[in-house]
Amino acid sequence: MARRATISGVGMTPATSPSKQSRSVIELCQEAAWAAIDHAGVSPDQLDAIVVGNIDGFEGTVLGGKHQTRLLGLGDQLPLTVINTGGTTGGNLMQVAARMVRSGAHERVLCLGGPTFFGATDLQSAINTNSPMIVEQPLGMGAYHMGAFAASAYLQRHGIDAAALGEIVAIDHRKGAANPLAHLRYEVTPEQVMEGMQLSTPLTLPMVCPVSTSACAVVVASEEAGSASGHPTALIKAMGTSSDPYLGGGKGDFAVMQNLAILARRVYALADVRSPRDEIDVVELFAPYAHMQPMQLEALGFCEPGAGVDLMLSGATDRDGDLPTNMSGGPKCTNAGVAGELAPYAHVAMQLMGSAPPEIQLDDVRVGLAHGTGGSFFQFENLAVLHRIGD
Amino acid sequence: MNTPATQHVRWDLDYDIHLGSTWGRFMQGLREKKILANTCPECRRVFVPPQAYCESCFVRTDEWLELPQEGVLEVFTVVARGFTGGPTPPYVIGAIRLDGADTLLIHLLRHTDQGDDGSRLEVGDRVRAVWAEDRSGHILDISRFEPIA
Repeated sequence: MARRATISGVGMTPATSPSKQSRSVIELCQEAAWAAIDHAGVSPDQLDAIVVGNIDGFEGTVLGGKHQTRLLGLGDQLPLTVINTGGTTGGNLMQVAARMVRSGAHERVLCLGGPTFFGATDLQSAINTNSPMIVEQPLGMGAYHMGAFAASAYLQRHGIDAAALGEIVAIDHRKGAANPLAHLRYEVTPEQVMEGMQLSTPLTLPMVCPVSTSACAVVVASEEAGSASGHPTALIKAMGTSSDPYLGGGKGDFAVMQNLAILARRVYALADVRSPRDEIDVVELFAPYAHMQPMQLEALGFCEPGAGVDLMLSGATDRDGDLPTNMSGGPKCTNAGVAGELAPYAHVAMQLMGSAPPEIQLDDVRVGLAHGTGGSFFQFENLAVLHRIGD
Repeated sequence: MNTPATQHVRWDLDYDIHLGSTWGRFMQGLREKKILANTCPECRRVFVPPQAYCESCFVRTDEWLELPQEGVLEVFTVVARGFTGGPTPPYVIGAIRLDGADTLLIHLLRHTDQGDDGSRLEVGDRVRAVWAEDRSGHILDISRFEPIA
């Protein structure tokens, strides 16, 4: 019989840059995995599966997930599933684990996202291996260049001055500075953002995410097994994934996130969310580039098209606003690859459980929305509505 | 603070990617200075580059047509920082809606090292394909698009 799945434990290591990281991938993974099972109140022999993510090529490995799992010290009887869906690997870990638990086949599944932006000396070149190699890569089309298309189209469509991107980054940094787990923990002014190194118009270096190292793990358990954690858990009320056409040119309109809007309608219907702005208490969005957060807020139905920037500038998405969003600082302040993609789910779950770092913990949050995205021009989106249960 | 201990590892791999019949035909067209597209039999959308299946209707595409070599520049970015193995910046990449196409073709606009920083380009400009002298069945057989004066 189908059951409900819940996030019952989270483990996350503090993030830093590769040049300051003194520990290896496996050491970070061990710390996150053990912290998650400890938080979930389970012992290693109570786990009955592990779902691990890696992105082939980014770390000079093709079996990264497999070797990590052998070295976690969790025993040798754990069935392993490796997820390798590029930039959405992290978000998909939780969704695959939730399906395993909902099916009744598993009670407690550990999801592990290691740092996957760690080893490449020229990360941009590594990331660019995911862009369509025959018709787009030869044009000098890398990750942030693709991002720049959307930024450019969005600003143009709504007549928004590029200085708004500086304001957005300043907001994210204020939040990241308060989060002890974040990588970039300093504040910036909108002017500093605008004066940063030009990458690809309208994007400057401070408008794109850093290269971070950290690991993240969550335990997904049946509702009954989750109750053993001794604290509230985050029920996975509804979830889903959706994807764009493969080639950039298939998107049709770079100024809107149509794919995410379609997914949001589907997930809200499953969760019986009718008025997202009124019903959702906390949001974590995967927004590694400055323009993405306002576009996502629009696609998710929190405001009208073109009003995302004003929504952020109004303070609504701040700690004391009615829609606290990316209290972690988001991927703009911390992006450790697969760990960074799992992080929105982990942060929302921690907020609902009351287990977030005290500096960023919100009061009385019951319904959360977590989002992930990745790909090239081709974007997979993933989304989940989580409910606090077990008070 | 001590620098973390690391060791250098290098991958050095080359690939030959089989284009298949759909992109093979498109690339052969470029060699002949033709921009070939195909059409979904159900939704009638015109794809360039062509695709073997329609991603909306999930049916095989089988009708081919040649498109005009002109269209509208819908979005672009001026690139200040490229990447290893890519073109040398600054350069401009844009999405072009060729006349008669339903998808956008991503391509280079002018190379800004030819005395143009992209500031004269505007969204909505009419642009035209400029062919390379030597063509080998590659996306860069179109060397760039440029505004129609």
